[in-house]
Amino acid sequence: MALNPFFLQGSSNEQFLIQDLINEQLKIYGIEVYYLPRKIFKTDDIIREIQSSKFDDLFLIEAYLNNYDGYAPGSDLMTKFGLKLQNEISLTISRERYEEFIAPFLEGISSGIREGRITEYDFADLITRPKEGDLIYFPLGERLFEIKRVESEKPFYQLGKNYVFELNCELYEYENELIDTAIEEVDNTVEDEGYITTLRLVGAAITATASAAGISTSSPSIGSIVLTEDGYGYTSTPTVTISSPTSGATATAVAITTSVGNVQSVKEIRLTNAGSGYTSNPPPTVTISGGGGSGAAATAIVVSGGILSFSVTNAGRGYYGTAPTVTIAGPSVGQTATAKAVISDGELDSIQIINAGYGYTAIPTVTISSPVTGIGTFVYNEEIVGQSSGVTARIRNFKRRTDISTLYPPIDVQVALNTGNFSVGETIVGGTSSATYVIESYNRESYDNPYDVNEEIQTEADGILDFTESNPFGEY
Amino acid sequence: MLGTYFYHEIIRKTIIGFGTLFNDVYIRHSKDNGNVLDETKVGISYGPMQKFLTKIQEQAELNKSIAITLPRMSFEMVSIQYDPTRKAGITQTFKASDGNNLKKVYMPVPYNIGFELNIFSKLNDDALQIVEQILPFFQPSFNLTIDLVSSIGEKRDVPIILDSIDFQDDYEGDFNTRRALIYTLRFTAKTYLFGPISETTDGLIRKVQADVYSGTNTQTAKREMRYTVTPDPINADPAAGDDFGFSESWEFFTDSKSYSPTQQEDI
Repeated sequence: MALNPFFLQGSSNEQFLIQDLINEQLKIYGIEVYYLPRKIFKTDDIIREIQSSKFDDLFLIEAYLNNYDGYAPGSDLMTKFGLKLQNEISLTISRERYEEFIAPFLEGISSGIREGRITEYDFADLITRPKEGDLIYFPLGERLFEIKRVESEKPFYQLGKNYVFELNCELYEYENELIDTAIEEVDNTVEDEGYITTLRLVGAAITATASAAGISTSSPSIGSIVLTEDGYGYTSTPTVTISSPTSGATATAVAITTSVGNVQSVKEIRLTNAGSGYTSNPPPTVTISGGGGSGAAATAIVVSGGILSFSVTNAGRGYYGTAPTVTIAGPSVGQTATAKAVISDGELDSIQIINAGYGYTAIPTVTISSPVTGIGTFVYNEEIVGQSSGVTARIRNFKRRTDISTLYPPIDVQVALNTGNFSVGETIVGGTSSATYVIESYNRESYDNPYDVNEEIQTEADGILDFTESNPFGEY
Repeated sequence: MLGTYFYHEIIRKTIIGFGTLFNDVYIRHSKDNGNVLDETKVGISYGPMQKFLTKIQEQAELNKSIAITLPRMSFEMVSIQYDPTRKAGITQTFKASDGNNLKKVYMPVPYNIGFELNIFSKLNDDALQIVEQILPFFQPSFNLTIDLVSSIGEKRDVPIILDSIDFQDDYEGDFNTRRALIYTLRFTAKTYLFGPISETTDGLIRKVQADVYSGTNTQTAKREMRYTVTPDPINADPAAGDDFGFSESWEFFTDSKSYSPTQQEDI
């Protein structure tokens, strides 16, 4: 018998007493920190690392700060990768408090009850202690620390038991992990960190207006141009020339090309002015020339009572992506004209005639479809979805740019964690706020990150490099 | 000393040219089901930097909440070395135009500039994604065409040669030390350094002048007629519709003077 049997080397009541005293001391002398457990999206079992994770739960717990005299000197390092901070803290938390107030909730997470649970790389058994890799939000200085090591045997088995965990932590190295705890103070720690891009959204949109400039009641004009051969091999838009009438105004038209299988051909020909004084016999000739291709041919159809041209009376604003539809009132007897809108820089630039119609005796009304007017206010960290591209991202910042325009301020939104490229003209919708806006432009350059000078390098390089054969590393 | 002031910014341009090869690299993270979680453009900077500037830029608020954002790349020039294998005769010159005047340029001096590209990532997978997007373009060199001396539009192919790839993965040791995952790619840029560029003494013939003398003894005979031919106009431009003709003029003299080519006037 090695030990004296007449003394208890730690009865459970003595152990409870010590644990209670420690708990009380921590509540008196400690500070409140948040414990953020790591949730894992993906692991790689071959190169053995957790490749994507998020932190969206947090638990308030009291902890004693062991390094009460502050961080070690020289915690900020100048490296070849810029500034790196190496602040470390050591925290002591109560084992009982952890096991009773955090572990039961973690069990819920780990067993798959909550969203974002660990998948194959299951840490379900590892809920009885704080884990390395989890985060601590340290309110003094508003910093995020990552637990590097958990010490559970210090002090060493007093009265036969250990009562605290010592957490050795270092400032977190951030790599676009989602931190979405709903506690603003915690979530804002990474508000300006990581790869953040900028979406410019249409603030206030205005519907454009246009009118028909005239109809060919007295002198026949060209009603439409029918493409008989689409040609091939075009490298740029060919020129369309319509023969002049004996007397009257010469019609003008533009070709619209399309590319299928890297072969560019003429898709259609739209009139910009239907001219006047044309006859059906002989009909006007249409010549398609230039553009590097050949073979395209078209014929013109002459009508009476067709629309001559359109003029834009108000260019509107907020037209991006797909051009608005043009609706033209029909004649009493005859054929309704059809036309396509051409947009430029968010405004209605012009209207091109597909078919000028016929039988018009009076100038018809023209209606341009309205652009989408943005509505709502995005909230921090909410997920937005591009309705065409399907790209998602998280909102970091939302600002009306009244400094650009007080009357129609555009909106700049900084987003992070985007899954790809947003398209200009597509609508984005917020998952929480349901705010809806149309994208005016998308800048993929890192926003306001002082380290990243990718764009500056490119700007300088554009002036001195000759990438005639294109940059194989990608174009800006 | 050696000559007049000149600075073509050739080394700086080579640094920019090198940097632009790597300023558009992306990495992706995905979920277990393969869906993309996020796509990140890898930030790059020239490594060496003023320390105070680093502090006030990257830690404007002193209570920066995180250690660093990753992944990152940095590059820096590590050596400048003369390359005797590309040596050309130093007295050789060639002519170049700055758009207005003909310039005389000495053959450039070949120099190899050593570069290091460092990739710092938190995950092995990130580093592999980055490295794999870079390496296939170097076999082992990749040619950059750089306008080394912009005043004369002197574009040179500068091969960037990938010399070596090292990586450091400090995963061993106690748990108080963080794992550091840094790839280092070493390159050599074979660039050229140009000396000062001077106005050339010879150039385009802009005027032809012939004097006709009354006798064959040029010591005693004086010029009596001068025939001058100049391009018309002297700044002929095909875009302006010039026909590239020339103007002729005849002058007759009775002043018994003769032309001095040295002083370029009649004496």
